[in-house]
Amino acid sequence: MGTPPSVRYPNHVAAGGNQPPSSEIKTPLKNDSSDAADGSKIFSAMNCDGCHGGGATGWVGPSLVDGRWRYGGTDGALFQSIFYGRPRGMPAYGGIMSPGAIWKVVAYIRAQPLPSDVPTERWQQEKRP
Amino acid sequence: MHRAYMPLLFVTVLQGTPPAMQDDGQWTMPGKNYAATRFSALSQITPANAAKLRPIWNFSTGVLGGHEGQPLVVGTTMYVVTPFPNVLYAFDLTREGYPLKWKYRPEVNPAAVGIACCDAINRGAVYADGKIVYNLLDGHTVAVDAQSGRELWKTQIADIGQGETTPMAPFVAGNRVIVGPSGGEFGIYGWVKGLDLATGKVLWTAHNMGPDSLMLAQPGRGSFGSAPNIGVSTWTGDSWKRGGAPVWGWISYDPQLDLIYFGTGNPSPYNTEQRPGENKWTNSVLARRPSNGALVWAYQFTPHDSWDFDSNAEMILADFVVAGRMRKVLVHFDKNGFAYTLDRATGEVLVAEPFANVTWAKGVNRTSGLPILDTTKTTGVSRGNVKGICPSLEGGKSPASPAAYSPRTGLFYTATNNLCMNFEASEVTRIPGTPYIGANTPYVAGPGGNMGEFIAWDAARGRKVWGIKEKYPVWSGSVVTAGGVVFYGTLDGWFKAADARTGKPLWKAKVGSGVVGAPISFRGADGKQYIAIYAGIGGDWFLLSGDVRSDDPADVRPPADFAPDLARHTSQGGTVWIFGL
Repeated sequence: MGTPPSVRYPNHVAAGGNQPPSSEIKTPLKNDSSDAADGSKIFSAMNCDGCHGGGATGWVGPSLVDGRWRYGGTDGALFQSIFYGRPRGMPAYGGIMSPGAIWKVVAYIRAQPLPSDVPTERWQQEKRP
Repeated sequence: MHRAYMPLLFVTVLQGTPPAMQDDGQWTMPGKNYAATRFSALSQITPANAAKLRPIWNFSTGVLGGHEGQPLVVGTTMYVVTPFPNVLYAFDLTREGYPLKWKYRPEVNPAAVGIACCDAINRGAVYADGKIVYNLLDGHTVAVDAQSGRELWKTQIADIGQGETTPMAPFVAGNRVIVGPSGGEFGIYGWVKGLDLATGKVLWTAHNMGPDSLMLAQPGRGSFGSAPNIGVSTWTGDSWKRGGAPVWGWISYDPQLDLIYFGTGNPSPYNTEQRPGENKWTNSVLARRPSNGALVWAYQFTPHDSWDFDSNAEMILADFVVAGRMRKVLVHFDKNGFAYTLDRATGEVLVAEPFANVTWAKGVNRTSGLPILDTTKTTGVSRGNVKGICPSLEGGKSPASPAAYSPRTGLFYTATNNLCMNFEASEVTRIPGTPYIGANTPYVAGPGGNMGEFIAWDAARGRKVWGIKEKYPVWSGSVVTAGGVVFYGTLDGWFKAADARTGKPLWKAKVGSGVVGAPISFRGADGKQYIAIYAGIGGDWFLLSGDVRSDDPADVRPPADFAPDLARHTSQGGTVWIFGL
């Protein structure tokens, strides 16, 4: 018997949508506008927008500004997603970004206003022929 | 309208392409044959009876990603490769309900999903010497025993850490398996490789740019010029090392000339000002020897690409009269909106005419081979937001939707897109394994009220013969048959048949999801002609269609600006369909 595929790759081990029972990690920043502005620049400089789109509104990767989270939307969950990566394509940036830089990206994402609704349809506005 | 040369064509057909006329009823390679014509000599289905086509069988692949490419039929078995995680199904066509013979589930590194630019698609397999050979998304080629489903070899060909993924369909010429990577959006150093069919060993690697030694080029020997190292001198500094030129499309082969033909993709990054120069051989067709990879000739469709006009679309090989002379040609519908007819021995440009709405160039100078640019449409950071560029970077035709050629009608059949774009470039830094793009490129519908059209093209004269306008871009491949019927699918989930001579619509069926795959025609175990097609919207349309994926509550997408109601007609979901009379 070989190793089951689910644990064969280190990056295949999903943390899932739930946080561990303890040790929610906290940001050392105040998440103020200056942190968010720095984070915006880093978001672009690290090519995050290449997958998540300009303004983090989604492209091949999902939107980060619609209030929907696959792996949790707290500061700590976002940090973990960026630092360790996620199994459906999110690379682990922990190796090439300092924790401080990651926290600034977290501040940027958290500073984005959440929409009250995410419309998925626009065709009601069409006129019938 | 082909009266002048049709008699000659028939002579050519009989003498020059006997395999196509003696159709064995199988479909063993992506483009049907070495010439990649996607022409089936089966003739039971005709314009007279196509209205009676009905679904014979279907099968959910269990995978939601974009179902590009085509099934294979070898003997009485149908083979289907899914998008990631690249499951290979073998269906027994001799038994009721076509049950599975076996299914092969490879190990594929899921990290590759984040390195694939535009959905985790796969463009299919090739059959040769008892093996089904295909690429896994994570940079591996596998050979599977066609009878048993046992893995025979597995070779790493690409490095996802450098942004390379491998969704293209391998091609087999003789005993060489030819493969290439995607990654034009990740700043890869593009290449093709030749593997030994028996063992999977990599026998040669030929880069598409860089020094001659790495391009396997011998200046002066081929017809691509005598200057040395133009793969370096047409770039600035070492920008060629991250210059893209992926090979994610289709390959064809002329056994008499012993040349394989393939297109290369865009230069990286999209921001032109980070790579001054012609950027050879991005956006080009390259002719190489399959045995050792040697470059024999090359031609660049879009020098110093300003618009992401990859040239990965198929090179269809045909012999017909151009300007009064019988020519061995290759025909190519480029993303840049021009259809090219080239002499396939030399690369000489014989015909280059727009098949779609084109604003970036006024034409192609046939002598120099260079496009005549509209300089107001060239892009780069210093040029700001450049508007009204047609076609969009989806292409006048997508390379993902391969055309077909009928030697009976002398016509080429292809999906086209009628989209334009604005293009605002930005500076970008390459971080290996992350996107290296540097542009924001929103689309708008082109003029005319239809975003797509399925057309028939006369490649000897460079003109459209007929067209069927479609509301949405047309992104499926096509197959044309000796019965005189051509098939294609639409993004809103229809599979359609038309009369190959007149373009008259004959039949359509709703297939459950948008079509981005390519149809095939084969003879079943009962001797009847069938048509197979994948449904399963995806690829770029995973990014562009809005809310078409419902299995992930964390990824709910707003409508696309230019096609806000596409999700009204389709969701994701892969199904293999077979239709027959």
